[in-house]
Amino acid sequence: MNFFQAQDKARGKTRLLTLLFIAAVVSLVVLTNLLVAVAIGVGVGPEALAAQPPETWLLISGGVMGVIAVASLFKFLMLRGGGRVVAESLGGQPIHQNTQNPQQRQLLNVVEEMAIAAGLPVPPVYLIPENSINAFAAGYGQDDAVIGINQGTLDLLNREELQGVVAHEFSHILNGDMRINIRLMALLSGILFIGIIGYGMLRGSTFSRSKDRGQAIALAFGLIIIGYGGTFFGNLIKAAVSRQREFLADASAVQFTRSSSGIANALKKIGGHTSGSQIQAKAADESSHMFFGAIKSFNRMMATHPPLEQRIKALQPQWQGSFEELDASSAPASAMGFAGASAAAPSSPEGVVSQIGQGQIDVAQNLLQACDATLANAAHDPYEARGLIYAMLIDADPKIAAAQLQKIHAHAEVGVPEHTENLLPLVRGSSLSQLLLLLEMAMPTLKELSYAQYKRFNANAAELIVFDQRVDIFEWVLHRVMTKDLYAHFEQPHRSQGRIGSLRRLQPELQHLLSVLAHRSGAAATCYKAGAEHLHLAQPMSALEYFDYEQLNAALAELRELKPHLKQQVLEACAAVALADGQMHPDQHALLHGIAATLDCPLPLIAQPE
Amino acid sequence: MELIILLIVVAILAFWAVSIYNRLVALQNRHENGFSQIEVQLKRRYDLIPNLVETAKAYMAHERETLEAVIAARNQAMAGLEAAAGNPGDGNAMKELAGAEGVLANAMGRLNVVMEAYPDLKANTNMMQLTEELTSTENKVAFSRQAFNDQVTEYNTYRASFPPILFASLFGHPTDAELLEFEDSAEIQAAPKVSF
Repeated sequence: MNFFQAQDKARGKTRLLTLLFIAAVVSLVVLTNLLVAVAIGVGVGPEALAAQPPETWLLISGGVMGVIAVASLFKFLMLRGGGRVVAESLGGQPIHQNTQNPQQRQLLNVVEEMAIAAGLPVPPVYLIPENSINAFAAGYGQDDAVIGINQGTLDLLNREELQGVVAHEFSHILNGDMRINIRLMALLSGILFIGIIGYGMLRGSTFSRSKDRGQAIALAFGLIIIGYGGTFFGNLIKAAVSRQREFLADASAVQFTRSSSGIANALKKIGGHTSGSQIQAKAADESSHMFFGAIKSFNRMMATHPPLEQRIKALQPQWQGSFEELDASSAPASAMGFAGASAAAPSSPEGVVSQIGQGQIDVAQNLLQACDATLANAAHDPYEARGLIYAMLIDADPKIAAAQLQKIHAHAEVGVPEHTENLLPLVRGSSLSQLLLLLEMAMPTLKELSYAQYKRFNANAAELIVFDQRVDIFEWVLHRVMTKDLYAHFEQPHRSQGRIGSLRRLQPELQHLLSVLAHRSGAAATCYKAGAEHLHLAQPMSALEYFDYEQLNAALAELRELKPHLKQQVLEACAAVALADGQMHPDQHALLHGIAATLDCPLPLIAQPE
Repeated sequence: MELIILLIVVAILAFWAVSIYNRLVALQNRHENGFSQIEVQLKRRYDLIPNLVETAKAYMAHERETLEAVIAARNQAMAGLEAAAGNPGDGNAMKELAGAEGVLANAMGRLNVVMEAYPDLKANTNMMQLTEELTSTENKVAFSRQAFNDQVTEYNTYRASFPPILFASLFGHPTDAELLEFEDSAEIQAAPKVSF
């Protein structure tokens, strides 16, 4: 199953959950009405109920639905704030990209490799101060996702096992599980709130002396039963869904890392560790289903995770059932090296958009290692990262470059212009694909800026982009990636609904998109035809004199509202155009990168056209 | 039936209060996390200073006092950093760190002045690299300090705005967080007065 199918499925599942939830709310409303009927003493017979004015029941029903709606919406809005809200509520501290701690450095490297290989934005990583082995992914979409890792995970797992755990979390991001999780959490807290109100009423009424105290207490008890009972059944649904997703994520982790031993060994270590995967933080309860391992032991029905034995057996059928005995003092074996396998250059468009896990992590690892150390360090330092991005935007024309540098001297913070100048020769010597890699590496680092610093940086970058009165392809891609990652982090994430279910309505946009790509190769007409055939597009290639980013942005804004499986077709068509002449031009590679970022799709690492 | 309307109103009010609480906690977390970025840079600076002193020692044997003052100030600042890292935003810890940093900056400034008299030392490649790195790290400290102060200001502004000000003490946020202000760098860099 690839990203797009998983997204479609996740959406389908969400719809099913919504239906289940509506059913739950309706039964809650009916129950509350009956309860009130008993409490005010009219009896529950049909005639007795009919005798009451209908407004009574309307009011009660409206009240219950109103309370659930307000409570759910509130929770939803809070969780929509992004993964960092969840991570911070669990006591997580962000690991800085320029950390000197070797353990944390290794973790960041593993996360970075995985993100680059999967074509996802590199997520910020939070360290949770707990000694058990556990991890989670939280967030609403891929651009506000964060990964949280327990200190114990770092202390006890080796690199291969850590990679397995991180791959498992990435699979949750890719499969859209986080979105389901957040909706579930919101809905459940809505139902639970009914119970909390009942509890509050009970406490209030013990002090009141009014004559209908007995009724109030009965009502309160009723609400408690409904609320907590509803939450109980809700938790059953949540746990059942979660167990399925865990198996899926384990399987995807094997697909990503091409090794079942890493994740299986991590699970065995949880089994052998004294505190297992338990989490002490109180806030963890409601996000229990986001974690890598169960945060406490539940009985079978309520368990958010399948039993460890089952998960390990699913990964390693020949496993005999022995856990690795661990106490907190045992250190992991030295980091495992990986044989440097290389992925073959993709020859089919399908291969370009859905080939995660065929050796890309190794390729990503090699690419990151091959990256110039000075530039890589700059990308990991929030101070120098700005200099790096500025340097990428300096024009090749010496006259314009001098004017641009002058602008940086005037507007950037102290010291940044020097970094820009120092990095400039290295940046100029890098290939386009290396620059794209560095750009992705710099994104989580730039998320560490304060809001005021981000505003200044963003304004400066925008000014450099439009400085020469035109926007070239690399500048466009850079702006797209920055908008996607930084704008989502500092301002508002853009949520596409994915409602459009047919390509027919968007033919002019598709025509423009494919034409832009086709014009970057020698044989534009043949290339365009290859992509148009993929989408059964009848329109001829449009003539383009220059790279018109505004029109491209407008086209992509329409296309991002497509359903996931149609986005896959569009991306495949783009890849078909780019591959039609037998090789991928660097400009086309960059364009694909920017298109995928704008459409909110991961673009797995492409074997580099050198 | 007024009861139900009352319940909904109470629910909305409760959520409103909860959202204020959450926002206060989020902003506090954010500025506390912001401090760890300063910590990264300051630690790096404190690691560089002994190297610099080691290199300088070989050339300026007669300036032991100046060198020792630098090391003492560096150790003092490091202790201040450790105390502050445990409790970022706390008024006393911040002032102490700022004070220790001021002393260190003064000592470093004196060292720079003294170094002017040793052209060999200034031409030493090792020394040039260290100085360059120190300057760069100082810029980074200033930068992460700015980020921290932005976040502290955001927290303080929210805390002091209406209606959060009504609840702030109740929710465990009774005081403003302290900004981290070092002595004005212009003053430190100013040339010392020389009287003939």
